[in-house]
Amino acid sequence: MEEIKKGGLVDVFDLKNVDIHIGEIVDEGEEEEEWEPMGPHPMPRIATLRDWDFKLLNRYKPFYAPICDMCCLCTYGKCDLTGNKKGACGIRMDAQQGRMVLLACLVGCSAHCGHGRHLLHDMIKKFGPDVPIDFGPEVDIEAPLTRLVCGIKPKTIGDYDEVFSYVEEQIVQLADALHTGQEGSYMDFESKALHMGMLDSLNKEAADIIQIACYDMPSGFPGDGPDVPFVDVGIGTIDTNKPVIIVIGHNVPPSADIGVYLTENDLEDKVEVGGICCTSIDTTRVYKKAKIVSALGRQLRVLRAGIADVVVIDEQCIRADVLELCQRVQSPMIATNDKAMHGLVDRTDDDPDKIVDDLVSGRVPGVIILEPDQVGEVAVRTALQMDKKRRSLKFILSDDEFKYYVNDCILCGSCTLACPNGLYIGEANKSAAAGNLKPLADLFDICVGCGRCEQVCKKHIPIVDVMTKAAYPQLKEEKGRMRIGRGPIWDSEIREAGAPLVLGTIPGIIAPIGCGNYPNGTKDAWLIVKEFAERNYIVALTGCMAIDCALWKDEDGKTIYEAHHGGFSGGGVINIGSCVSNAHIHDATIKVASIFAGRPLRGNYEEIADYILSRVGACGVAWGAMSQKAASIATGFNRLGVPAVVGPHGVKYRRAFMSRPDRKEDWKLIDASDGSEVYVEPGPQDLLVACETVEEALPMMAKLCIRPSDTDRGRSIKLTHYIDLNQKYLSAYPPDWHLFVRAASDLPIATRNELLKKLEDEQGWKIDWKKKKIEEGPIRGYNPSFNPTNLERLVRGKK
Amino acid sequence: MGIEIPFDVASIAGPEIGGIAPPEVIGCYITSARRPLLVVGSEILRDNFFVEIAIEIGKKGIPIAATGHSMRGFVEKKYTENVYYYNLHELTNCLRDPNWKGLDGAGNYDFVIFYGIIYYYASQMLSCLKNFATDPLMRTVSIDRYYHPNARMSFTNIMPRMEDEYKDMLKKLVESIKR
Ligand code: SF4
Ligand code: SF4
Ligand code: SF4
Repeated sequence: MEEIKKGGLVDVFDLKNVDIHIGEIVDEGEEEEEWEPMGPHPMPRIATLRDWDFKLLNRYKPFYAPICDMCCLCTYGKCDLTGNKKGACGIRMDAQQGRMVLLACLVGCSAHCGHGRHLLHDMIKKFGPDVPIDFGPEVDIEAPLTRLVCGIKPKTIGDYDEVFSYVEEQIVQLADALHTGQEGSYMDFESKALHMGMLDSLNKEAADIIQIACYDMPSGFPGDGPDVPFVDVGIGTIDTNKPVIIVIGHNVPPSADIGVYLTENDLEDKVEVGGICCTSIDTTRVYKKAKIVSALGRQLRVLRAGIADVVVIDEQCIRADVLELCQRVQSPMIATNDKAMHGLVDRTDDDPDKIVDDLVSGRVPGVIILEPDQVGEVAVRTALQMDKKRRSLKFILSDDEFKYYVNDCILCGSCTLACPNGLYIGEANKSAAAGNLKPLADLFDICVGCGRCEQVCKKHIPIVDVMTKAAYPQLKEEKGRMRIGRGPIWDSEIREAGAPLVLGTIPGIIAPIGCGNYPNGTKDAWLIVKEFAERNYIVALTGCMAIDCALWKDEDGKTIYEAHHGGFSGGGVINIGSCVSNAHIHDATIKVASIFAGRPLRGNYEEIADYILSRVGACGVAWGAMSQKAASIATGFNRLGVPAVVGPHGVKYRRAFMSRPDRKEDWKLIDASDGSEVYVEPGPQDLLVACETVEEALPMMAKLCIRPSDTDRGRSIKLTHYIDLNQKYLSAYPPDWHLFVRAASDLPIATRNELLKKLEDEQGWKIDWKKKKIEEGPIRGYNPSFNPTNLERLVRGKK
Repeated sequence: MGIEIPFDVASIAGPEIGGIAPPEVIGCYITSARRPLLVVGSEILRDNFFVEIAIEIGKKGIPIAATGHSMRGFVEKKYTENVYYYNLHELTNCLRDPNWKGLDGAGNYDFVIFYGIIYYYASQMLSCLKNFATDPLMRTVSIDRYYHPNARMSFTNIMPRMEDEYKDMLKKLVESIKR
């Protein structure tokens, strides 16, 4: 029979004596060519990588700090689990904590999966499934996580249907495990959380790849990568003399449509588009005139400042009271995603004239438009009309109002007890009443913008507005600059940086990611980036930390992005993009294993994670980690062998992964060259750990970049930074630096004698002073051909 | 002992909540410890006075774990004997293990005093000890200006305008630790 080709026309009336079977019609050559032999674990299920998880969990034993001692998930309860007691169903406190962690990761992973799937639907509807995934001459390995986890090399966005189907099925199985009377082991709950984290990393990669492919966001073409353009950041960059559209959330198509409408109607210079949170970052990757107003932490305050003539929300990280906030300042709201509809009426497919009229007249506070391509026109036309209507309105307190409120404060302290950061607002009010506004203005940046304080103030002081007023002179001048999200790290950059990273001469990749629940304001984000970039680490940022660090400037008036190059090499400060883009940080570590070390990727997660854990000195930092997504993101990094540091609020995630360097047996690795067992130094010491202050976090991050595979030169560089950061911020030598010394050549030349002396005096090590050699003391000697692994199956030859 | 709202109002973990006690009672309680440990956080750096209090407690033979970047305060005062830097998360991870050898190699502690630590961080670490350091039981107190329900005993919430009273409480506490 004649073969029917896709796109070919066959007149069925010409066909005689044929049976027609409609199956899947495939393009010629669409069958998967053998791009790489399949590895051992394609599309792993819950139990597939459990052995790897248990290797991690036995070294980095789950640590639990319950935030609630009870469980109320079924009608046997509430159960009091205090003191590791069991509930009525038999679950112990430790397993219950693991269960809650899995629940958090479930929510986070589902958010990214839902986001990615939603995006795929919208993009297939708009462009069809055949949009090619072609990231240009600089990116051959386009989807490292997809290849690694699924064994799929995606060619078009349509290929992601299979990927999401896999993730969705796994999510359901994992969610099932949360039911009362299923899992009872905290170790298995954590293995499941690690699985969820891995799936989450895959979701992120999928979502970003789809949007890059469809919206032509920067990837591997000339002008992309290290050379992407800059964008304005900060409340002060928004020209409020123009109509202002504020977009909030994570899912870019509706915001992209606003850019399209403005461009097509020649309104680009007449309307301001500013974003909050990740949608802002992604909008600037699509529409070059967009600006970033702020990260998540300022959402309430930006909305209350009333600068928006229309607010467009999509999904994730939107305040649940966003509609109320919009109504308060007469900003009409457009909800564009079925996950966040806020009780409004769905007006998708309705006449835009009618929708605009209803919004502008105030007949409705907001509308739902679920078709992204219908959002642009309504948002822009509404903003143009609302601008005229709202021009005379003022939402910043007058001087008299401000004075009245700060004088009215009775210093009761209720706001302080309600404040997540325990800010002493009453005292600052009193200073302001006496004429000193600085304490109140200083609180503005430390405030995380939650609004809890106002609800408990007996004097009904609008505390957030009072703080905003005090900080207003600085806020108007808040004008930063950052590079737009560049997406994937180039293969050529990996080829250059891979060796120095594994050898340790580029001391590490520092990855500041996530939300703005900082303990002490946004400046800490800037300090982290500055400190490591100046020390020749590669700093790769995504999400709110990428935004917040751009608000601060050095003595020359430069932001940290302006002061450093944007390439994936020592000293680079790279904005990778939104939260989903942080998959490219996973990808960079995977590509080091693949491109630099030639390890096979396809369906080979365990081996690659083992490689990364022992050799790639990368450390995430989520200094203001807040959301469930941040929980699943960190857990995904952990399964891949990348540690993460969180700020002090991060202890509320309940669980950490920390090792015990004093337990020698936990630090036994295998030398893959001959199968011998080697006791090694604790590198990385933890997979998830919280620091109290940024001063403590800086040396901790340097320590967590140490890996057993470091060359002596690399180790001496890493040790130099570890010791130096301790001395700079803690005024002391780190108590454990000696654990990381294998030989005298691991010590920096400039201070070698001094350090050898300390080892002799303080640790009792035997030093041969003539040869300047360590004779006795270290956990192990330095062996340049050490080939560390945790996996016996990778041993090449037996001793 | 009285009843108070936690410093972060919603930090009520469950049925087992610690009480509020005056400095003399907490001092007496510390005196009863066999192997106490003072765990100090970065908030002591807000005033020299608080560093000096820690040193006075240290001089009574109670070892100090300097967490956060509190180490700075001890170095500046040139008091580093008996002071060990430790990350609080990692330290708590060790404290929950009865087999841990302690900062001096002589074994785990039976009593920890939390001091100068960011409220919510301390609260979570105290929760870990309350729930998992139960056999043998590790006793915990906080001597911060906060009510900590996850500690067995702590002070009440003390607002900045009562700072002088708080300082007096700490002085009384030090006096009442007999060792
Ligand atoms: S799920 Fe178990 S611990 Fe939770 S309330 Fe039910 S019986 Fe109690
Ligand atoms: S809005 Fe700011 S000051 Fe008020 S409770 Fe929240 S963080 Fe504290
Ligand atoms: S709750 Fe209100 S009156 Fe009380 S201290 Fe805070 S601002 Fe002042």
